[in-house]
Amino acid sequence: MTERDEIDVLAGEYVLGTLDAVERAAASLARRRDPALETAIAAWEARLQPLADAVAPVEPPKSLQAKIEAMLPVAQFAPIGALERQAQRWRRAALAASALAACLLVTIGVRELSRPEAAGTYVAVFQKDDASPAFLLSVDLATRVLSVRPVAAEPPAGKSYQLWIALEKAGGVPQSLGLIDTQQSTTQRALAVYDRASVERATFGISLEPAGGSPTGRPTGPAFHAKLIKTAG
Amino acid sequence: MAARAEVASARAAGLRLLAPTGAAGSRLAFLIERIAARDRAAFSALYAATSAKLYGIILRILRRRELADEVLQEVYVQIWERAAYYDAAKGAPITWMVAIARNRALDEVRRKTAVSIEDTPEVMNLAGEEEHPLDRVEKSQELARLSQCLDALDSNRRELVLLAYREGMSREVLGQRFSRPPATIKSWLRRSLLQLRDCLGQ
Repeated sequence: MTERDEIDVLAGEYVLGTLDAVERAAASLARRRDPALETAIAAWEARLQPLADAVAPVEPPKSLQAKIEAMLPVAQFAPIGALERQAQRWRRAALAASALAACLLVTIGVRELSRPEAAGTYVAVFQKDDASPAFLLSVDLATRVLSVRPVAAEPPAGKSYQLWIALEKAGGVPQSLGLIDTQQSTTQRALAVYDRASVERATFGISLEPAGGSPTGRPTGPAFHAKLIKTAG
Repeated sequence: MAARAEVASARAAGLRLLAPTGAAGSRLAFLIERIAARDRAAFSALYAATSAKLYGIILRILRRRELADEVLQEVYVQIWERAAYYDAAKGAPITWMVAIARNRALDEVRRKTAVSIEDTPEVMNLAGEEEHPLDRVEKSQELARLSQCLDALDSNRRELVLLAYREGMSREVLGQRFSRPPATIKSWLRRSLLQLRDCLGQ
């Protein structure tokens, strides 16, 4: 098989759904880094779409719509339950992926985040889903040095990503930690003004803002969130 | 707000909104754009126009209503959150939404133990399903074309592809179904996918 065949078969199995959990997780990560795979997946989605169109529609229970609409985040920062579900899901995905996808994870920077000195290092992973950008944030709690590593995070034209912290003792009101450079990993010390315990429990958010950052000093665009997870070792 | 009127018109337009391309597709694209701007009325309109379709797809894969309900909720919350990232250049709105729904359902079903083979209905006849009103309205050229290419596959491979795509069967479950080891299923899939791709000529 040619390389293109290999990619098309992987993409085809991904879209058909026949990959097992570990392979799926690996492919989900790989598509973010590999435009050829991403394109091949989109091509299969389009090719097989007529089969989806032929599936008989089923009305969902009437009560669901109101329930869903009540779940849509009103505030910029999602309710804690949703955050925890997100974090749990990511942990599960990370576990499933760890065996097969260790090499893929390396390419998105986990290696940097889990070097031996990582004992005091915490990581937050911002990865809403397979198709949107991801950010890896790491914080050394001892020095409060923070670094952000973007992955496939090209903002739409005229927009910037902005990093926020919401501290319990500040009532959960997000405070800006500055704009994120989407081209490269950046290190900064904006956390130095906060104490260790607060940072450890804080929620971090990344929102999409007009170029140059939020005009209001609060998140205004779609946001995603994460809490710090202690790295192993 | 323009999108309020969309709610009513989306309901009235009903399933015609589900056409993958053309005016109805751009209707959905418009709603998604409004949702990206956090327009809740547009969200209601999109839900009214698409939830039965997505629910049908999810339910078919997950089989259990309580699971399907949960996944449908997550899918629409994701649509709300991801609307700003929808890129019309990369595909039709409904294809984007179906991909979100199927990916969530498949992640869910792969996490669980395999569905017992006794739970799985016979694969439905494609020709039979084309009788469905949806298809009479939108009996697309694409479906006819794909159907031809599926028929051109070796012996039972058409059924294999349909069971995988629509029922979300894993290689293991397909292996039980066809009394073959998963490795054989894998090579069948591989060959069928390449044949399909070449037949569809895209």
